[in-house]
Amino acid sequence: MEPVKIEPTRALDEALKMQRKLAAGLKTLRELDDVGYGATDKEAIYREDKLVVYRFKGARKPTAKVPILIVYALVNRPYMVDLQSDRSLVGNLLAQGEDVYLIDWGYPDRADRWLTLDDYINGYIDRSVDAVARRTGVEKINLLGICQGGAFSLCYTSLHPEKVKNLITMVTPVDFHTPDNMLSHWMRGVDTDLFVDTLGNVPADLMNWCYLTLKPVRLNQQKYIGLVDILDDKGELENFLRMEKWIFDSPDQVGEAFRQFIKDFYQGNKLVKGGLRIGDGEVDLGNVTMPVLNIFAEQDHLVPPSASRVLSDFVGTKDYTQLAFKGGHIGIYVSGRAQREVPPAIHNWLAQRAG
Amino acid sequence: MKDWPKNEWMDQWQALSRQYWNAFSDLTREAGAGAGRDAAAMPWHEGFEQWARMFGGPGKQSETVERVLASAKSFTAFAQSMIAAATAGNAGAAPNWAEVLRNGFKMPGVDAASLFSNPVAQALREISGQGVKSFEQMMQGLAPALDPMREAKSWLNVPAFGFLREHQEHYQKMAVALIEYQEQTRRYNTLILKSSQRGFELFESKLAAREEPGRQIDSLRALYDLWVDAAEEAYAETALSPEFREIYGELVNAQMRVRSQIQQEVERIATDFGMPTRSELDSIGQRLHDLRREVRNGAGGNSSALAREVESLRREVASLKAALKERAVAPSPKPSAAAPKPVKHKRTRPVAKKRAQPVAALRADIEESVSAPVVASPPPKSVPPRPRVAKGRPSARAQRTLPPPRGKKSVAKVAHSPTRVGHPVASFAERMTAFARSAHKAQSVAHPYLKPAAGRRGGR
Repeated sequence: MEPVKIEPTRALDEALKMQRKLAAGLKTLRELDDVGYGATDKEAIYREDKLVVYRFKGARKPTAKVPILIVYALVNRPYMVDLQSDRSLVGNLLAQGEDVYLIDWGYPDRADRWLTLDDYINGYIDRSVDAVARRTGVEKINLLGICQGGAFSLCYTSLHPEKVKNLITMVTPVDFHTPDNMLSHWMRGVDTDLFVDTLGNVPADLMNWCYLTLKPVRLNQQKYIGLVDILDDKGELENFLRMEKWIFDSPDQVGEAFRQFIKDFYQGNKLVKGGLRIGDGEVDLGNVTMPVLNIFAEQDHLVPPSASRVLSDFVGTKDYTQLAFKGGHIGIYVSGRAQREVPPAIHNWLAQRAG
Repeated sequence: MKDWPKNEWMDQWQALSRQYWNAFSDLTREAGAGAGRDAAAMPWHEGFEQWARMFGGPGKQSETVERVLASAKSFTAFAQSMIAAATAGNAGAAPNWAEVLRNGFKMPGVDAASLFSNPVAQALREISGQGVKSFEQMMQGLAPALDPMREAKSWLNVPAFGFLREHQEHYQKMAVALIEYQEQTRRYNTLILKSSQRGFELFESKLAAREEPGRQIDSLRALYDLWVDAAEEAYAETALSPEFREIYGELVNAQMRVRSQIQQEVERIATDFGMPTRSELDSIGQRLHDLRREVRNGAGGNSSALAREVESLRREVASLKAALKERAVAPSPKPSAAAPKPVKHKRTRPVAKKRAQPVAALRADIEESVSAPVVASPPPKSVPPRPRVAKGRPSARAQRTLPPPRGKKSVAKVAHSPTRVGHPVASFAERMTAFARSAHKAQSVAHPYLKPAAGRRGGR
């Protein structure tokens, strides 16, 4: 039997349908204003250079005694965790009674070019943790690290275990040399010193180009053909544009921190092989003895599940929990399933360790 | 697939095309423009050129509009070629869909050869980003000039000499870098072409899997999605290969060498015109950053190396003081009646040491002042017994001579002060205290950027 059974008239109808959708939607699309993001009210509680630590304000007072500080990656903006009211990890955590804080790294420029991972981890994160702890009157806080921010959180917790009560990592790369890690595979042939010495800070455009080339046809063509289907739905169109804005709203990467991250993590894989030094301290995941919840996405093309799930082999804790989410690197924050599954899982896990 | 009699397919195809364009013209009129061309002869994707003219241009979402139109154009070209293949099929003979995709229609205005024979390269080219585009545009502009240079590449390695030697060398390096970048780009494109070809093979095998009843593809979109799956799978195979890693790395490195050479040229020109350069700004930025770290760490950040070292030294000094106290309680020889005044230790330091970082200076001080011989060795013959003994063994703290008040001395001066009065260990402890006081003052007064958000207590 033939694999393709397309009636020419039906095919024509499909092509015309696309034209009709475009006719109806392109004018609307062009005239749409910038979409807003960030659904939850928040207040700045600490500022330093371009960094701001925000506290999110829920509809009711938090019931949790220990606050959560979200440490996001440097490579994208952190409002992905609070994109819109019906797609908000933060909003759902607040609804569960958690007290949620977040580090917004800002947009680095050439003045920040010399910041190192020591500045980020032993400097910015440490002072942010202190600020949150002081404000809430606790000695230890809960840390929730996302993606690269998860790797930073692991380093921080290893170096300052006395300040972290529970550690949650989301879509966090741990073993950077798993065979399906395309980004790592590519970066291992790059002369990082030449790269950073030439570029200074790494431009956001270059980072975005790199991410798009992970799946060039799907991310640059198929996605927009799919958009035609929703061009006549203003709400869906705004959701799409909000996501699109987030994807391409990438800060430049600070040169020295980028250099060390690529050399030590992507190329040297030192988080699991050992020998990773941040400032004067050596990162030893064996120091991570507090409870750990590791959440990863099964269809993640940026941080493959294999890169995350090995965390259990390296942390020193005896209280390790793993949650495999059915979705991708972005769906884990914004999909309907994520709203139903992830925040309650985090809250319940923390509640069991609240004592 | 419905089979059309061979002698009717052209009529059928023209009828479908006319139908498409009539419908498109209606839509276009509604949107305010007219198509106005022979419908049957026009490639369908040309409709999107009109959309682009109508809806393109500046606007908040102009980039998204551009991406949607580019993708729709590719899809429509795909659709037209598929429909044409479907209507052209002979009775009982199924079209070779992979071949249809591979060859495409040589339609004007579409880079059909690229789109269908190398779709991944096409997709890569379509990825926007001004930072990426501008470099590629520059390289395209330079290409004609590079061709003759490539012919004479061996001459670019000839040693330079004479008055303009430096300049000649620089231009030679730049030319070599440009040629190497072109070469690496060619290698990369060859690999991407292989990936596209592999994509067609996978497409064929995926199609074969759809021959079972109930799994047949009945829409253009489903066929397109299957092709995307095949293309991505093939690309992933290639992208995860050792060959790709090597070529990708070489391509990136070659581009960085080109950029670096261009930057050097820009710097040279800027210098000639008396303008500040990127290197100078970077240098200032680095010094400022180092200074900030030094100040911040000196100001008591307990995560800093200096703070940890100070803490460790404090503990060491405390234990030494305790040891001294114990020793002071133990019996010691009587002093002579005519004990001269204690001699103030004068110490000269090498200039380089004075300029050393605080940590190094502290280390040096500690080594000199709290090392074992100070406590264990007997005093030299020329030095009389210490006055504390003559005063009936008062406490170690009470017997030492306090250093003069330091007033507004800077942190660095406190740390590096060569003055040494009284017992070295006690003196060091005082200096540590003074250092901590000065550092605290420096944090609160001299470095307002270290302050926390207004109304809040800041970080350490």
